[in-house]
Amino acid sequence: MSQLIISNISKTYKNGVKALDAISLDVPVGMFGLLGPNGAGKSTLMRTLATLQEADEGTIRLGDLDLLTQKGEVRKRLGYLPQEFGLYPRIPAEVLLDHLAVLKGITNKKERRELVKALLYKTNLYEDRKKRLGGYSGGMKQRFGIAQALLAQPKLLIVDEPTAGLDPVERNRFHNLLSELGNNCIIILSTHIVEDVKELCPNMAIINKGKVLLQGNPLKLIEQMQGKVYKKNIAKNELDHYKQQYRVIADRLLLGKPIIHIYSESTPGNGFIPVEAALDDVYFSQIFGDNL
Amino acid sequence: MWYEIFKFEIQYRARRTDTYLFFAVMLLCSLIAFNFIFEGQNLGLVKENSPYVIAKIMAVVSGFFMIITSMVMGVPILRDFEYNMESLLFVNPITKRAYLVGRFLGSFVVLVFVFSGLIWGMVLGDFMPWRDANNLLPFNFWHYLQPFLTVVLPTLFYGGSIFFVSGALSRKLIVVYTQGLLFFIVAILSHAIEDPFISAILEPFSYVAIDDVVQFRSFSEQNTLLVPLEGVFFYNRIIWVLVGVLALVKGYYAFNFNVVKEETGLKRKTKQDTRNESHNQIITIPDVTLQHGLRANSIQLRAHSLFYFKSILKEAPFWAIVIGGIVTIFINSINIGTAYGVNSYPTTYLIVEDLQEMSLYFFLIILVFYTGELIWQERGVQINGIHDALPISDFINLAGKFIGLLMTYLLLLLALMLSGIAFQTLNGYYHYDLGVYFTGLFLEILPFLTLFTFITFFFQVISNSKFIAHLLVLGFFILIMVLAVFGLGHGLYKFGGIGLESYSDMNGYGHFLGPYLWYKLYWFAFCVFLFVITVIFNIRGTETGFENRWKLGKQRLTKPLMQLGAAAILVFTLTGGYLFYNTHILNTYYGQNEQEAFRVAYEKTLKEKEYLVQPKIVAVNLKVDLYPKERNYIAEGYYVLENKDNSAIQEIHIQKRLSDLEELAYVKFERGATLNNEYEHFGYLIYELNQPLQPGDSIRMEFKQKAITKGFSENDNKQIVNNGTFFDNNRFPSLGYNRKYELSDDRDRKKYALSPRNNKANRDDAREVVNGRSGDDGSSINFEMIIGTDSSQTAIAPGSLQKEWLEGDRKYFHYKMHQPMINFYAIVSARYEVMQDEWVNPFGPPVALEIYYHKGHEYNLDRMMKSMKRSLHYFSKHFSPYPFQQMRIMEYPRYASFAQSFPNTVPYSEAIGFILDIDDEKDIDIPFFITAHELAHQWWGLQVVAANVQGKQMILQSLAQYGALMVMKHEYGEEQVNRVLAMEGNRYQKGKKSDSKEEMPLALVEDQEYIYYSKGAINMYALQDCLTEDSVNLALRRFIKDWNITDGVLQKERFPTSADLIGYFREVTPDSLQYVITDLFESIE
Repeated sequence: MSQLIISNISKTYKNGVKALDAISLDVPVGMFGLLGPNGAGKSTLMRTLATLQEADEGTIRLGDLDLLTQKGEVRKRLGYLPQEFGLYPRIPAEVLLDHLAVLKGITNKKERRELVKALLYKTNLYEDRKKRLGGYSGGMKQRFGIAQALLAQPKLLIVDEPTAGLDPVERNRFHNLLSELGNNCIIILSTHIVEDVKELCPNMAIINKGKVLLQGNPLKLIEQMQGKVYKKNIAKNELDHYKQQYRVIADRLLLGKPIIHIYSESTPGNGFIPVEAALDDVYFSQIFGDNL
Repeated sequence: MWYEIFKFEIQYRARRTDTYLFFAVMLLCSLIAFNFIFEGQNLGLVKENSPYVIAKIMAVVSGFFMIITSMVMGVPILRDFEYNMESLLFVNPITKRAYLVGRFLGSFVVLVFVFSGLIWGMVLGDFMPWRDANNLLPFNFWHYLQPFLTVVLPTLFYGGSIFFVSGALSRKLIVVYTQGLLFFIVAILSHAIEDPFISAILEPFSYVAIDDVVQFRSFSEQNTLLVPLEGVFFYNRIIWVLVGVLALVKGYYAFNFNVVKEETGLKRKTKQDTRNESHNQIITIPDVTLQHGLRANSIQLRAHSLFYFKSILKEAPFWAIVIGGIVTIFINSINIGTAYGVNSYPTTYLIVEDLQEMSLYFFLIILVFYTGELIWQERGVQINGIHDALPISDFINLAGKFIGLLMTYLLLLLALMLSGIAFQTLNGYYHYDLGVYFTGLFLEILPFLTLFTFITFFFQVISNSKFIAHLLVLGFFILIMVLAVFGLGHGLYKFGGIGLESYSDMNGYGHFLGPYLWYKLYWFAFCVFLFVITVIFNIRGTETGFENRWKLGKQRLTKPLMQLGAAAILVFTLTGGYLFYNTHILNTYYGQNEQEAFRVAYEKTLKEKEYLVQPKIVAVNLKVDLYPKERNYIAEGYYVLENKDNSAIQEIHIQKRLSDLEELAYVKFERGATLNNEYEHFGYLIYELNQPLQPGDSIRMEFKQKAITKGFSENDNKQIVNNGTFFDNNRFPSLGYNRKYELSDDRDRKKYALSPRNNKANRDDAREVVNGRSGDDGSSINFEMIIGTDSSQTAIAPGSLQKEWLEGDRKYFHYKMHQPMINFYAIVSARYEVMQDEWVNPFGPPVALEIYYHKGHEYNLDRMMKSMKRSLHYFSKHFSPYPFQQMRIMEYPRYASFAQSFPNTVPYSEAIGFILDIDDEKDIDIPFFITAHELAHQWWGLQVVAANVQGKQMILQSLAQYGALMVMKHEYGEEQVNRVLAMEGNRYQKGKKSDSKEEMPLALVEDQEYIYYSKGAINMYALQDCLTEDSVNLALRRFIKDWNITDGVLQKERFPTSADLIGYFREVTPDSLQYVITDLFESIE
C-alpha cells in the first residue's frame, strides 16, 4: 500500500497570507490526525490534498502518482468530505448518492445499487434514504458526506473538520464510523479538537501558522512529556506573573477559576502538582508554548 | 433609523462595480437606441430628437431593461439571505419598517441613478457623427427630462416595487427574473386586445399609450410639443404606479421579519435517527469495479445530463416561464398569416413561424438564466467541494450541463409542436406537416439555441460571475446587431450564420436549406472550439486567478480534448473555406459599401446617356430554357428594334442585367456592329452599327443570355427556384441607361455628394412623358416565346399556347400573342394543377380562364374564378373590349406577397389569397378583390400606358382600385365595399404618418402607396358617388379610347398624364360640381 508524501508544500494567498509554509509530512496508511487551531492552514492543506487547490511550491506524491499534476488519476481513488458543504435540498439521499456513484465511475447498475444500499446502512441513513436532503439534520448531513466519500473505496480519504458543530452523540457515532474504515486506506482527519485525534489516530501532526510543529504517534508524543507537566490553581490576576516565571502550556478555567499547566524538566515546587500528560498538553505546548 | 439603512444601502451600492456597469450599459445602449428602435421606420417629418421620439425610446428602453431593474431591485433583501446575514441582521434592534423602507428607497435611488444613463446616453447619442443634424431639433434638455419623469420613473417605480417584493418574499433570484418576464407577457397580451383604449392602458411600458396620445398631431406639433401626461397615457401611468404601491403594501405585510423561512420538519427528523443503531456494524461495503473508459464516460454523461435536466424541470420559475410562454403564444396565434385583415388557414408553416417568433424571447430567458443557474448550481448549494473532487473530467461535467439544457429545449420544442397541432386541430385544420414542424423547430430554433448556449457557457465560465456573464451575453447580442448595421452581416462573420428562408408550400425550403445548414455547421464547429476553451478555464476547486486557471487548464489538455479542439478548428476552417468559396469565389459578394460605391460610379459615369436616343423594342421572340432543378436558364432569340425618332441612330446601348447570375453569351446585329466595351464593368455595352439605323427602319438584335447558378451566394435569388420560378423581362437585356441602378435613398446619396433623386419627373417633363413604364425601352411589341422546362412542370408566358411537346425529360410550350402588347412579360414555371373555365363574352369571342395553382390550395379558387368573370364582364362592358383570348392566374411561392398583371397573365403570390380563410360575415373577400384589381390592370396599365411622371400611379393604381371596387359592389353590395374603404382608410392614415415628405395631391402622386392605392380608392369611390357610376365610366371609356396603345389616336406622341385623365372627368362633371374634381384630385383635403 502506498504512502502519501508531502514535501515542502507552500502556499501564499493573494492577500499575502502565507497559509502553508514548507510543509512536509509522511502519511502512512491508516488514520492520520491533523491538529491545529482555526486558521492554522489545515483546510488549505486538505483542499490541496483533495486536488482542489494549487500549491506554489513543493510536491505531493501518493504512491506512484504526482498528486498536483495527475489530478484525474488521484481523484479516481479519492474520498473527500469538505469542512463545509451543502446538498441539493430537493433530492432524496439515495438519488444523490447514486448519482455521485455514477460520477465516481461505478457505472454497473447492480453493483452501484448494492453499494449505495450498503453505505446508507453503514451510515445509518437507510431509513431516511427517500427523504429529501433539505430535511436532514447536521449529523445526518455529515454522515451522508462520509457515505459519499467512501463511494469509490478510496485510497486517500480526506475528512476536513468533520465533527465541528456536531453534538456529542453524533460525534461519537461519527467516530465509530471512521474507526471502522479499513486499514488499507490513508485517512487524513483534520480537526482542532484534540479528542478526535486521541480517539482515532495512530499518527498525527500538529500544524500552526502554516508550519508543521510536530509529527508522530500520539502515545509516543505523550510519553515524551510524561513527568514534565505540572498544574496549579491560581488567581486570575496572577496569570501574567506565572507566564513570565514558567513555561505555561495551557491555562483554562475549572469551575470559574484559572488552572494552569506548565512544562518543566525539574520539579517546580511552589504548589505545582505533577499531572499525567495528555495529548492536550502536547498540543497546547506546541501551540502556545514557544520553542520547547 | 430607516435613514441609517438607506444610507448603508447607497454606500454599499456605491462601492460595487455592478452599479457602474449597469449605468454604463444604460448609457451605451441609449447612445444607439434611436438607430435600433427606429431602424427601418420612417419618421416622416418628425425630428429624431423630438419629444415624442424621445419618449417612445425611453418607454421601449426602460421596458427592455426591466432586467436591470430586476437585478438592482430584486436583490437588496435577498442578499442578506444569500450571505446568511439575516441572523446577524434581524437580531439587531431594527424595525421591519425601517429595514424595508431603507432598503427599498436606497435601492430605488441607485436604480434611478442607473437609469439616468438613459438621459445622458440619448443626449450624447444625438451628437454622434452618424446622426444627421438635418433630422434633429436644437438641443433642449427638458425634452429628455420630461419623458424621463413621466415615462421612465413610473415604470421604474412599479417594476422596482414588484421585484423588490418578490425578491423579499421568495428569496430566490430566479423568481425575480420570472416576474420580469411577466411584464413582457402583459405587454404582448395587451397588444392582442382589440380595444385600443384598454390595450394602451394595460401595456406596461406605455409606448402604446404615447402613440395614442399623439396620434392626431401634425408634424410640426410633434416636433414642438411634449407628450402630455393626459388621457390614456395618464391613466396608464396612474394604474401602473398603483400596481407598484399595491405590491409594496402587500409585500410589507407579507414579509416575515424572521430568520427561518420555512424549515420543514427538521426537528422531527433529528429525533428519528437514533433507531437501528446496531445493524450498521454487520454491513460490509461491497467491492465495486471502477470504470473509467469511454463506455463509462458515456454512461456518466448520460446520467449527468439527465440529472441537470431533471433539476431544471423541478424549478417552479421554469414552469412559470413555460406556461406564460404557451399562453402568450396561444393568444397571439389567433391572428396568423393575416393579409388585408383576413387570417389564413393555420397551415403548419404559419404556425411554426408564429411559434418561432413568439417563443424566442422565452427561450432566450431560459437560455441565459438557466445557463447561469447550471454553471453555478454546485456552488449555489455548496456541494462544489464534493463535486469538484469527483473523478469526472471537466468536459463531461460541462457537457452534462450543456446537454441537460438542450434536453430542456427539446422538451419545450416538443411541447410547442404539440400546442401547434392542438391549435390546428381546434381550428379544424388537419394537414399537420410534421416535416415543417421538425425543420422549423429542430433545425431552426434548436441550432440557434445551441449556438447561443455555447456562448453563454463561455461567458459564464470565463467571467466567473453570473451577473457579469448576463451582461456580456446582452452585450454580445448588441454587438451582433451593431456589426450587421455596419455592414458586417455576412454569414461568415455574423455569429450563427444566415437565417433560413421561409417555407413555401410550393417550393418547400427549396435550395435554401443546404447553405443554411453549412453555416450552422461552420458556427457549430466554432462553438465546439469555444467549448474546449470553456472546459480549459472551467473553475474547479478554489483557484480563480487566471494564472492558476491556465495552469490547471493545461493539465486538462488531455489527448481527446486536444483532438476535439483540433477537429473543431479543422471543421471550422474547412466549412469556412467552403462557404467562402461559394459566396466569394463562385459568386461575388458585395458588401453594402461596395454596392453603394458601384451604384454611385454607375450613375456618375453613365447618367449623361440617360436620354440618348435609342430605338424601341417592337418585337420579342425568345426561346427560354428553364432548368428548375439546377436553377438555370438559357434565353436565346431576338428583339426587333425600330428607330422611332426622326434622326438616324448610330450606337445601340445595351444594358445587361447587373447580376452575377446572368451572362450575355453574345449580341449580334443584323448588318453587323462593333462593340465598344469601355463600360463593360457596368454591364453597359455600346454597339456601333455598321450602318446607321434610319428613322422608321428596324433591325434585329440577336442575343443569347445564360444564367447558370454556381454553388450558393450570400443572397440567393428567390425567383428562379426548384418549383415556382417567376421572373419578368427585367432579367433580359434592356436599352440604354437604367435608372433603377442608381442609389435611391436620399440620405445615402448625400453621403456620396449626389443630389437628391427626383422620384418622378414633373408632369410636363417633355423627355419623360414619352416614357411609359419607368425607363421603358419598348413600345407595343409582338411577342412570341418558347419555354422549355422540367417535364413535371408547366411553364407559362403571355399569349396563346400554340403548341406543347415533350423532348426527353423536358417539356416545351410555345406561346404567341396575337395582339400587340406592352414590353412586359413574366415567365412562370411550376408543378401546377389547373382549374379551367370560360367566360362567355357577350361583347366578343369567348375567353378561356385558367388558374394554375399548387395542389392543396383549392380553398379560394372559386372566388378568383368568379372574380375573373365578373371583372372581365364589367370592364369590357364599361371601359373597352378585352383584347386577349385567355386570362390566367399563376400561383408563385410566398417569397414575395403581391400579384402582378402582365398581358393576359397574373402571377399571384401563395401568401395573399390562396390560403386565406375567409369568413363572409365579417371579412373582405380578398382573393376576389385582388383578382379584380389585377384584372383592371389589363386595362389600366396594359391598354393604357401612363406617362412616367407625377400622377402616373393615379392612372394605373387608383383606376385599378376603382375598377375592383365597382366589381365588388355589383357582386357583394355596399357592405363589402365599405369594409374595403375602411381598410384603405386605415392604410392611408398609417402611410401618411410615416411619409417623410408632405402629402401630394392624388394627381401628382409619386411613389406613395397610401395615396395612390388607399386614397385613390376612397376618392374614386367618392367621385362615382357624386357624379354617378355611369358618368365616371363614360369618362374612362373616352379616356381609354383616345389613349390606348393599339389604336388610341392621342398616344402616338406621348403617354397620358393625370392631367389628361382629369380632363375627361371634368368633361362629364356639371359646372356646379367641378370643385369636387379639384378637391378629390388636385388638392389635399
